[in-house]
Amino acid sequence: MPVLYRAVLLAMLLLGIPAVPAIAQTAGALSGPDTRELVQADLIAEPAAVTPGQPFWVGVRLRMKEHWHTYWRNPGDSGLASAVDWRLPEGFAAGPIVWPAPQRLPVAHLVNFGYEGETLLLTEIVPPAAAISATSVSIGGTLSFLVCETICIPGEAELALTLPVAPPGQAAAEPASQATFAVARAALPQPAPWPVTVEAGKEVVMLQVAAAGLRADAIRTAFFFPHAETLIDHAAPQALTVDGNGLTLRMTPSRYGDGKPAATGGVLAVEEDIGGRIVRHAFAVAGDGAAAAGAVPAAAQALASASTPAPVPAPVPAGGLAAILQAMLFAFLGGIVLNLMPCVFPVLSIKVLALVAHSGESRARIRLHGLSYTAGVLAMFLLLAGILLAVRAAGAQVGWGYQLQSPVVIALLVFLLFAMGLNLSGVYSFGGGLSGIGGGLAQRGGLAGSFFTGSLATVVATPCTAPFMGAAVGFALTQPAATGLVVFASLGFGLAAPFLLLTLVPGLAARLPRPGGWMEVLRQLLAFPLYATVVWLVWVLSQQTGPDGLLAALGGLVLVALAAWALGLAQQHGGRPGPRRWAQGTALAALAGLAGLAMLLAQAAPRSAGPATAAAPAAAAAGAAIAYSPARLDALLAEGRPVFVNMTAAWCITCLVNERTALSADSVQAALAAGNIAYVKGDWTNRDPAITALLERHGRSGVPLYLFYAGGGAAPVVLPQILTPAIVLEHIGRATAALSRQSASIPTPAGSVRP
Amino acid sequence: MTMIARRSVLAGALLGSAAMFATGLVLSDSVAAGLQPGASAPDFTAIDSNGRTVSLAGLKGKTVVLEWTNHECPFVRKHYSSDNMQALQKKWTGQGVVWLSVISSAPGEQGSVTPAQANQLTAERGAAPTAVLMDPKGQIGRAYGAQVTPHMYIIRPDGQLAYMGGIDDKPSARTADIATAKNFVDAALTELAAGKAVSATSARPYGCTVKYADPTG
Repeated sequence: MPVLYRAVLLAMLLLGIPAVPAIAQTAGALSGPDTRELVQADLIAEPAAVTPGQPFWVGVRLRMKEHWHTYWRNPGDSGLASAVDWRLPEGFAAGPIVWPAPQRLPVAHLVNFGYEGETLLLTEIVPPAAAISATSVSIGGTLSFLVCETICIPGEAELALTLPVAPPGQAAAEPASQATFAVARAALPQPAPWPVTVEAGKEVVMLQVAAAGLRADAIRTAFFFPHAETLIDHAAPQALTVDGNGLTLRMTPSRYGDGKPAATGGVLAVEEDIGGRIVRHAFAVAGDGAAAAGAVPAAAQALASASTPAPVPAPVPAGGLAAILQAMLFAFLGGIVLNLMPCVFPVLSIKVLALVAHSGESRARIRLHGLSYTAGVLAMFLLLAGILLAVRAAGAQVGWGYQLQSPVVIALLVFLLFAMGLNLSGVYSFGGGLSGIGGGLAQRGGLAGSFFTGSLATVVATPCTAPFMGAAVGFALTQPAATGLVVFASLGFGLAAPFLLLTLVPGLAARLPRPGGWMEVLRQLLAFPLYATVVWLVWVLSQQTGPDGLLAALGGLVLVALAAWALGLAQQHGGRPGPRRWAQGTALAALAGLAGLAMLLAQAAPRSAGPATAAAPAAAAAGAAIAYSPARLDALLAEGRPVFVNMTAAWCITCLVNERTALSADSVQAALAAGNIAYVKGDWTNRDPAITALLERHGRSGVPLYLFYAGGGAAPVVLPQILTPAIVLEHIGRATAALSRQSASIPTPAGSVRP
Repeated sequence: MTMIARRSVLAGALLGSAAMFATGLVLSDSVAAGLQPGASAPDFTAIDSNGRTVSLAGLKGKTVVLEWTNHECPFVRKHYSSDNMQALQKKWTGQGVVWLSVISSAPGEQGSVTPAQANQLTAERGAAPTAVLMDPKGQIGRAYGAQVTPHMYIIRPDGQLAYMGGIDDKPSARTADIATAKNFVDAALTELAAGKAVSATSARPYGCTVKYADPTG
């Protein structure tokens, strides 16, 4: 880690960072009736009004007569997917249909995929960012569908609705429509909480879910609905096995194809027995990007890769011993780097300071301090990793850094770091009743204190997902629990290593300067990085909870200061019981108030991705960030537009530094504008399963993640976790050049095979 | 909350699809799932609409086209109302290709016709197949794994399967799409006639499900 970079990181703590925009949701409905007997189709909108620059959702509602069905995007053995030809006002754009999870519809020995009863086909409409002069807009289109029972009838329906145009921020919510859309979203395939791979072989198409925690006895059925019509034999049985490593489906390859490998994405439907009740889950399976971009023949791909340096590969989770050792090494190196991160550095400095104070002690005693510190680091790492693995095994969408997605944890960290800062500033000293907690900061004693310092260093280190750490942690999370814990332990060992070395190697400790008056000054100086960290975490908290949370946190800081002051007072009046009791009482009352505030924070609902109003005016500017949603990314990619994806979080310091120093650089902004590259930004400050799923697809378990799609269906390039303007420009240039070479070498009729 | 909503939404679909899944497993065993381009085409013997016996073995040395059909299916109507299918039949039977239209609809199902009705349909539509094969038990259809109407197969003079799949690359019921579609059957027959290898040997079939008889009933 270069010194300069560290300086930038520290400077970041003191800088203001712009807020992350997002969408507000409003609701409303207008519908046009249709009198067709077999399918009633109408168009409904989620918001009551259109706001310039604010994308919104509409839905084509299909109500089928009993026993009749319409089709999914892949209709199966026969049939035809429904399609909409949109008619939109100028400047408006419609995304692709976002399909609900389909049903399996057998007819004799053949199988179709589609919907019976009622379904809602969601589509995102993107209005222009500029002001709309009309007072209302008409959204319309022609729906073409095939409706079948045993016989099939093709049909068309005209869709139309009119929405008023609202000034920014004034669209009102409409609960009835919101509920309809909420139900529709619940019927969409959800991101799979585990890594899912699909391998298309000649003899078998194999889908594997790496979900070690899956209960074999509870899984009743599993069925894979492929997006591509020519991946599998739709009617053939899909052989299911569930074992300790997860779930496997073996499928028969399709007999049809056009020479191109079929894309492997789709929807996995799993029926689970929950206490005697069968529940169906549908998960989106991303499939492999290379096959999805299958329009590029193998020869052209080989040409491209031969003439360009290999792009940064996404870490491949392979289970071999070599892979484990490599992950352990990276984790160890990452752990060492963590020592230099601004969130760890002050804590470590204090520890070194304590060591200086200890320098009069015996060698054996110093060694014990080093070992206690190491044990503290390892214990906390294993505890956090254990919780993480357990929560994931239970099926929740979490990644590394999950602790910081809880406002309560952030608030407690804020209070803790502030209290430590006040201690360093000399407001109070540790000792007496609080020695159990603060021993590590005291001049004397406290092997428990060393243990505590280690644990503390670990807790505050988690947001700094250091360069080597992302891949290692991502690897660890895809492995069986034991392997995962070994990798996490390596990480912890790396974090502890420098201090441990200092205490174990006799020469090193002796070289530390002699204790003296300078120590007091340095100690007081070191309070300031802690205060800076407090400022940063309070800012993170304000992102998560808004003004109310901010008020609670700042109020809490006053209470911490009150408690510290009272404690200091009691320590000064050490001998006299009266004032001492009074001061201790005040300290206790302040701490009780703090606990109350923390509970208040726990109840404050985390805000959804961010303030809406900021988004609309900003979206017009070139290079402005588009808030991430899977549908929006798909829509941009479907347009064939190049896309730069930035996955970030307010508590991820590396992310913020990259944004400040690289992504906001004039040269990068100019390149994005010149290439008409859409800049998509996802905010992982709060939990977001869609982002977690994207991270996992690229072998990561935490932010930052930077992807560049060159457009034209090319697979994305994963950029390094530490960016400079040069690195960004190089990747964009290289991927774009590779794409243009590939386009030029595609032979004319797609799918033809040379004799 | 979301989970509960999803459960209730999908609850209705569950019982039905589980039962159907089991049914599908049993029935699919009877399909000739392994047939691939390049394999030898399964032999068959059938009665045509004029009461003559037609066997594939007897057609050795000739290029044979099999066209699964159901005159009431909108996808079949697309290709007949536009004269697309008839033109293709005339063009290739004129060059010595044997064109067999196959009706695998079970009695009482859509597309099921008597031999007389079949001939009447041929006359009315100006169709020009070499013969119309009656397959009410679906034996030929199952042997070839025909899924839809129209499902197309081309058999080389040496008995090898040269092409299987959809008639073209525009899966729709819209007549207007024919003009811009790539017709796989015409392309393959042209290549075969020129002594070349067939470049596209299979494509996704599209259309209405073949209305097979239930083999158990």
